[in-house]
Amino acid sequence: MPEVLSAPLVVEFPFTRSLGPVQSAFLTGLRERTVLGVRTSDGRTLVPPVEYDPATAEELRDLVEVAATGTVTTWAWNPSPRRGQPLERPFAWVLVRLDGADTALLHALDAPGPDAVRTGMRVRVRWAPERAGAITDIACFEPYESESAGEPSPHTGEFNAPVTGIVAPARLDYTYSPGRAQAGYIEALADHRTVGERCPVCRKVYVPPRGACPTCGVATDERVEVGPAGTVTTYCIVNIKAKNLDIEVPYVYAHIALDGADLALHGRIGGIPYDQVRMGLRVEPVWTEGGRHPDHYRPTGEPDADYDTYKELI
Amino acid sequence: MRPARDVAVVAFAQTDHRRRTDELSEVEMLMPVLHEVLDRTGLKTSDIGFTCSGSSDYLAGRAFSFTMALDGVGAWPPIAESHVEMDGAWALYEAWVKILTGEADTALVYSYGKSSPGEVRDVLTRQLDPYYLAPLWPDSVALAALQAQALIDAGDTDEPALAAIAASSRDSATANPHAQVRGSRPQGDYLVRPLRTGDCPPVGDGAAAVILAAGDTVRGLCERPAWIRGMDHRIEAHGLGVRDLTDSPSARLAAERAGAFERPVDTAELHAPFSSQEVVLRKALRLDDSVRVNPSGGALAANPVMAAGLIRIGEAAAAIHRGESDRVLAHATSGPCLQQNLVAVLEGEPS
Repeated sequence: MPEVLSAPLVVEFPFTRSLGPVQSAFLTGLRERTVLGVRTSDGRTLVPPVEYDPATAEELRDLVEVAATGTVTTWAWNPSPRRGQPLERPFAWVLVRLDGADTALLHALDAPGPDAVRTGMRVRVRWAPERAGAITDIACFEPYESESAGEPSPHTGEFNAPVTGIVAPARLDYTYSPGRAQAGYIEALADHRTVGERCPVCRKVYVPPRGACPTCGVATDERVEVGPAGTVTTYCIVNIKAKNLDIEVPYVYAHIALDGADLALHGRIGGIPYDQVRMGLRVEPVWTEGGRHPDHYRPTGEPDADYDTYKELI
Repeated sequence: MRPARDVAVVAFAQTDHRRRTDELSEVEMLMPVLHEVLDRTGLKTSDIGFTCSGSSDYLAGRAFSFTMALDGVGAWPPIAESHVEMDGAWALYEAWVKILTGEADTALVYSYGKSSPGEVRDVLTRQLDPYYLAPLWPDSVALAALQAQALIDAGDTDEPALAAIAASSRDSATANPHAQVRGSRPQGDYLVRPLRTGDCPPVGDGAAAVILAAGDTVRGLCERPAWIRGMDHRIEAHGLGVRDLTDSPSARLAAERAGAFERPVDTAELHAPFSSQEVVLRKALRLDDSVRVNPSGGALAANPVMAAGLIRIGEAAAAIHRGESDRVLAHATSGPCLQQNLVAVLEGEPS
């Protein structure tokens, strides 16, 4: 078995999310060091507040202010914090029922060790020094002995410059392995060769190979070298310049059936004015120094392919 | 209430679940299981009325992996097909409903998960409430540990009892050649206290497939079919601090609506990735010591995410196929702290 190929893969994007009226008031409140909850029709106070009653689905808009002190309802000691978690040193995950609330909020508790944490202990919010209107405006909780504060008090939920949305960045790190068929394809590209795989049942050659024939549902295990030349089966003219792509527009992007392949792959066509590219044009790959795949395809100068030779591949 | 049609699980297949499968793409890992489950019944793809799958692209970070997995089915010319971004047990539910409507008589259900390319503890944080939870990156073990501590505080369990559940699962798994962790192993250090390594599921890759058939179609496909007597799924409120983490009203309601309480079951396959969750489920599902729980070893022995729930239904059916069980409860879960629960009741005919 050849060596397994692998490469780091980072999937990272910021999610931009709008807030409903209750979430907006709650997160703006955190920015102002104020913790808001919402009342249900049966008189319970939910913190963190939600827009709809989890039991009845009734719309909830009746905001109240609760205390920044509360009681731990359950906890879990985290000896090895992971990226993105509230504290970088060991801490306790806690559910905290703030004074005046009937439900609990998840956050971190900064404590010296697990022996310093117990269910029922009293804690208070430690505010982040810089706050923007997000759950992370609470830096964490900290141990704090105090009498339970009283009932929640009504609150309009109105603040100057309310927060109406959040941007939640998400990043996940992977080590990507392409699997058997695609690894063979990538390894061949390193030698400037293109290989596909043949279906043992219908005999079609798939390029690039993905390991299975979508018609027959069986493994494609016979490796077949195709090309290097091929035929343009169809194409489009790109007029919009892509970000981070140093290619002058207009250019032609085409489906190319490499000789011996039963599936067209796609690539850019160069070495010919864009308005002279046509179906049936014969092309060959152009490799650049150190390139991992053909940079583009250019005309071979052969006569155009007859339509009947590629019509099944369009 | 009896379902509108008699539908049975007639075949089940699964991979050997492994820590890594770097040499295989998802479809390459899945395809042998699809072929095995079809071979068991003698059916071909073209005989199948409906195909439904469950998977999540986030696990391996491979966009649209479920469309590539479809290549392994032989999906061209187009087949009747659907996909859920959930455990395959929910794909099986969709397929069951499709058969109950009369639109199909047979269904192929499969699911797969490759957790090895990423960090599954981090990946699963992305399914949480994006406003109040996800920005804190609370990982799956941390949330399960909060539930475990709540159970300990309530007097429902303690660390030795959790260790006994872990040991029992992995002892049972010695008879399961597909399991990733077989035989007892040390409980290890705290991963997130009070959960130790032994209380947590192994991380790994795997796939599973099931074939459903209705009424007379079943004959000839399977000697002793596992008839689905009822199936239901229910969900808890999404706010963790709103729930009583020591109980699972949604699992209980799903079981009630699936008919689980009408007569005792002899076996239960529970999808409890953490030892503490078995405590919650035994209570909610009213399983006493007369019931064999997780003879396969359960999710503590192999937990290919997105497939582990479907495997519970498959293992339950296989026990009936082999004549080892007559009435089995199969359970699947999804989300943090048993947030969503599916219960199916399967029966074999008296032999």
